[in-house]
Amino acid sequence: MSKHLLSVGQQFPTFKKTAVVSLEKGKEFYDISSEELVNEDGRWTVMFWWPKDFTFVCPTEIAEFNKNFGEFRDRSANLIGASTDSEFVHLAWRNNHADLKDLKFPMLADTSKSLAEDLGILEANEKVAYRATFIIDPQGIIRWVSVYDLNVGRNVKEVIRVLDALQTDELCPCNWEKGKETIKA
Amino acid sequence: MEALVYSETTQEFLDLLKVDAGFQSDALNLLEEGKSRYLADLKINFKNSLESEFLTKAEIALLGVSIAANAGNTTLSQFFVQHAKEEGSSNETIAEAVACASLLSANNVLYRFRHFSKKEKYNEIPARIKMNIMGRPVSGKEFFELMSLAVSAVNGCEMCVNAHEASLIELGTKEERIFEAVRLASVITSTSKVIY
Repeated sequence: MSKHLLSVGQQFPTFKKTAVVSLEKGKEFYDISSEELVNEDGRWTVMFWWPKDFTFVCPTEIAEFNKNFGEFRDRSANLIGASTDSEFVHLAWRNNHADLKDLKFPMLADTSKSLAEDLGILEANEKVAYRATFIIDPQGIIRWVSVYDLNVGRNVKEVIRVLDALQTDELCPCNWEKGKETIKA
Repeated sequence: MEALVYSETTQEFLDLLKVDAGFQSDALNLLEEGKSRYLADLKINFKNSLESEFLTKAEIALLGVSIAANAGNTTLSQFFVQHAKEEGSSNETIAEAVACASLLSANNVLYRFRHFSKKEKYNEIPARIKMNIMGRPVSGKEFFELMSLAVSAVNGCEMCVNAHEASLIELGTKEERIFEAVRLASVITSTSKVIY
């Protein structure tokens, strides 16, 4: 039986997965673990999933995330792309598709489908991930999730808008109200 | 002096502002040398100000022209003038935005003095400042008031701020739109300390 979708306020599940980070020989792979999500540097994580490599909607969407890589970087957010394909399929796809050659973010391989299952985003019939997006705060807590059906593309601007809204602003003491707790960035 | 290579964050910001190649400023160099994370915040603040639910793109550009003129900032002025033209603003409207910054700067000094001093006598002595452009502004009464308020908020005149705010409310302007204009003015003023 598949698990329920993890939602706002829940801890992001633990994982250790191989990701494709480069096309350069010998530097293609890097292991990403959930430990990196929890950090003292105030770094957020945006993880977005797609159903299958080598399909049509995906590269457009992935290219759009890549185009906005700087927006995530400027907001101290690590961007991670993921699907249930293996790292070798990821690498082959990146080598094969012009739009994916200069990707700036890692492509995570959830080959065993364990992370997609823990997140509750595994589609029942084909056992592929839904088009889900998670925003995770520096404490490793899920702060936003959106799940689209397999063929619906995402709006990257909306993800950036939500990230902006989640990240604390107005830290200035002139905005403190008496009796309110000190704001922690 | 060695040329400093700016970070990707800054380079993208400068590309957005369409500055000439080799652009630099002392403030930017100091922030870059100290690898300040503030640069990313400033860039996000600025970019986020270029789109608004309550102001059209042309209005944002014209407010930008006015606030950049008020700050005496050539770099930002050029950016917003080009932006205003792309959004279909006429030379007359752009001129009015500059005129508004200049006139309101005079008013801000004068009326601020009056409200600071709290002496009735100074309200009786005539101001002798020509304000003909306030009569029938080409950008419309409401927008001219909004621009006047934004400049006054930057220059810090309580009397002008309250007068223009009251006038806008009377014209039916929503507080959200007023706040958005002042917010934009605050961000451009902040940007003008680094980009000049």
